[in-house]
Amino acid sequence: MNLTVLWNLLVTGILRGGLYALMAGGLALLFGVMNICNFAHGELFVVGAYVAYFAYVTFGLPPLLAILIAAGASFLVGALLEKSLILPLRRRSKGEWIMNTFLLTSGLSVVMQNTAQRVWGVRYRGITQYWAGTIRITPTMSVAVDRAVAFLIAVVGITGFWLFLRRTNVGRAIRAVSQNETGAMLVGIDLDNIQTLTFALGSMLAGLGGASMLSLIPAYPFAGGKPNITSWFVVTVVGLGNVSGSIVGGFIVGLVESFAFFYLGSGWQDVFSLGVIILILLVKPSGLFGSEVKGVLER
Amino acid sequence: MTDVTQTNQTDSSPTRSIWPTVWRWLQDSPIQPVAWPLLAILLLLPVVFRDAYLHRLLAASLLFGAQAMVFDFTGGYINAVNFGFAAFVGLGAYTSGLLAVNAGISPWIGMPAGALAAGLVGFITGALTLRLRGVYVSIMAWFVGLALMAVTYAMVGLTRGAQGINVPYLLETPDTLPYYYILLGMTVVIYVVLRLVIHSRVGLAFKAIGQNFEAARASGVDPTRYKLINFTLSCACAGLLGGFYAHFVGVLTPGMMVTDNTIEVMALSYIGGTGTLLGGLVTAFLITPLFDYLKGLMEIRLIIYGMLLILTMILYPAGLDGLFQWLVGRIKGRQKQG
Repeated sequence: MNLTVLWNLLVTGILRGGLYALMAGGLALLFGVMNICNFAHGELFVVGAYVAYFAYVTFGLPPLLAILIAAGASFLVGALLEKSLILPLRRRSKGEWIMNTFLLTSGLSVVMQNTAQRVWGVRYRGITQYWAGTIRITPTMSVAVDRAVAFLIAVVGITGFWLFLRRTNVGRAIRAVSQNETGAMLVGIDLDNIQTLTFALGSMLAGLGGASMLSLIPAYPFAGGKPNITSWFVVTVVGLGNVSGSIVGGFIVGLVESFAFFYLGSGWQDVFSLGVIILILLVKPSGLFGSEVKGVLER
Repeated sequence: MTDVTQTNQTDSSPTRSIWPTVWRWLQDSPIQPVAWPLLAILLLLPVVFRDAYLHRLLAASLLFGAQAMVFDFTGGYINAVNFGFAAFVGLGAYTSGLLAVNAGISPWIGMPAGALAAGLVGFITGALTLRLRGVYVSIMAWFVGLALMAVTYAMVGLTRGAQGINVPYLLETPDTLPYYYILLGMTVVIYVVLRLVIHSRVGLAFKAIGQNFEAARASGVDPTRYKLINFTLSCACAGLLGGFYAHFVGVLTPGMMVTDNTIEVMALSYIGGTGTLLGGLVTAFLITPLFDYLKGLMEIRLIIYGMLLILTMILYPAGLDGLFQWLVGRIKGRQKQG
């Protein structure tokens, strides 16, 4: 293999890794804090992509502003979904909560995909790039500015999210709820608000991913499918609910995928991924870095 | 749709009538009391109304309903939702279809072979994940399903990929009615087998202790073993129905394995009420004909399915079965007063 091919594979892998880390981080947060299996995570990616497209192309806003608006919109949609669907479900359901959230959000995903198709049709709404130009490193190795900035946004998003969880009081409250719900309630944390906020934050990360990757993945009703599957793949591999693990895992999966795609082609790459996950679950059911959810084994 | 755990004790004096005893026996037997009139209706309906369109609708409803029933067998009884269900149906369909196309093997052998293939993959999936929490089974089954679909798309030499394959029909007649009765027979057999497993010693113990693992272990039941039997059987039945689908429709494409189809079956079983077996079956007969009018509008159909699933889960988790039980309760209450 020559150096240029290797370079391209690495760049693609790391760029995709940034996206997966962003999305998987959000998914893991939802699982870690609220015990929610959000199957509609990919749909919030699509929300971000559509909003960014309309803001950037239809309204002609500057790229960064469009991306920010998209992230804000996904945050709002997430908050709305939590208040209107997840909260009533939580009030209702006694046992089997995790399974119920999985089913509810899978229904939600179908509704959102098909509503988007009804409203906007199956047309691809993509852009070639937000920012023009390429950065040359050597005569044969280069990276498009657009990709580099998208990656930067992912990194900033992940870092900001990380700092928010570690350094702010609200972030600490979220982590407190993830560790012990009753204890958090006892020290005066409003559970309902924290849970809405968590869901909205997770949604925002997915929306940010969708908006910043618009040049790579155009907005269309079913654009969320692949990112959804992959972020699920990441959180399962690293261990359900493990937020920091998901960020590392996102990059690993991005790189592995990029190389597997090169050597195996798109069809067999999925089979390869499945083989990997079976092996990992076989040896270590709690995932590579361990799950932060209590009781992986049902006993 | 009553369950053995909630056997009704309306009459305690043995001299008054033998009906309570008969009733209780019926409820414990492999076929629930409500299933008899249902079976009678399903047997007679196509004879009374001799209309080709109605026959096709009935067959389509039954095919969906039988899938919902098989799905509920795991989803409602061991709380493990098979999220790759459509792919297991597809595996059965492709196994039977490819055997017929490439080796000239009769569909009557191909269909059980499809069941075997789906059961085997189900067994491996279950063996790997059923000792973990319920959600791992779902995710794993989902990944297995996605991989099966990916393989079907990728093995162009064998499956012709996205183009799909044409499969010989089960019967030589173009009439739907014989197919319908064959499917009805298969459904009854599957139903009885599922009921027998649910009412087996292990199944009853599993249900009685409320799926509590500690209690199950303490009372000498191996929960994982029961779950594995359940999951494997359900996958095998899905494969069998898939085999029938292959030789009924005559065309197979990898798209039949897509997750949306799983959600459709799942919605049916949840709207019907989980842990009832028949709930999903009845719902299929109510919804499928309704949706036939929306044939060209797949997205609206899926939106309604998704909405119904969401609404059932949030507003009325007991589903149609809950409604039915409530009605039965009301009628019984009135009889007692009168």
